[in-house]
Amino acid sequence: MKTPSHWKQDFPVPSAEDSYVTRREFTKFLGLTSLAFLIGTCATAGRKLVKRLMGSPSSSIAIAEIGEVPVGGYKLFRYPTKDDPCILLRLAEDRFVAFDQRCTHLSCPVFFNAAIKQLACPCHEGFFSIDDGRPLAGPPKRGLAQLSVTTQNARVWVHGPNEEAEGTA
Amino acid sequence: MSPQIRVRHRMNVVLQMVMAIIAAILLAQLWLFTVTLDAMENHAVSMNVAVAAVVCSLVACAAIWTLIRFFLRTEQTETGERL
Repeated sequence: MKTPSHWKQDFPVPSAEDSYVTRREFTKFLGLTSLAFLIGTCATAGRKLVKRLMGSPSSSIAIAEIGEVPVGGYKLFRYPTKDDPCILLRLAEDRFVAFDQRCTHLSCPVFFNAAIKQLACPCHEGFFSIDDGRPLAGPPKRGLAQLSVTTQNARVWVHGPNEEAEGTA
Repeated sequence: MSPQIRVRHRMNVVLQMVMAIIAAILLAQLWLFTVTLDAMENHAVSMNVAVAAVVCSLVACAAIWTLIRFFLRTEQTETGERL
């Protein structure tokens, strides 16, 4: 019988077993995968929290002159940051409503369809009510986030999320 | 069949059961991650949803590590070796 070479006697590990994954290693891998999911979830939730804290303005801002938006018309604006597109609608002489413009399905921008008096998402044919932003048709299951709007000094002011509507949307 | 091999077979069965439970929990964690992603992207989703997802994910992670510890300890007790 042939004697194994000297280095093989010093390192008696067959190369086939070198890539062998033990149960302990495998379970550790699963545990680390779970940890990675947890970290990812925490990071994502943290980012939402940061966005919420950064984006919650303490002061209201004027987004349009009252005469600027005709009855049945709309105006696009950004609130609370320049990365947050919103839409202001004038439903009646003294009634304004504003919504986050991002569709709750896949965040495509919704537009005001005057013919059917609904907010429509062109990506997947989603439709929302202009009264309270609730979903009427298509894939969206949640309503659009509504903003609190008032008029003062011939201007339209936005004051942040409409908490009452948030609960119902 | 020698007692050692019998123990190994039994441990393999236990391992498969543990793996099935862990796989189910991991899938749930993946779903929780997507829920949190959705909450981050969508302003209409309340912050409470994201917080609840984090808590559930934490519980799931703890459950997985507990299961792993349980399995490895059982294995060590049964076989008397660290595999």
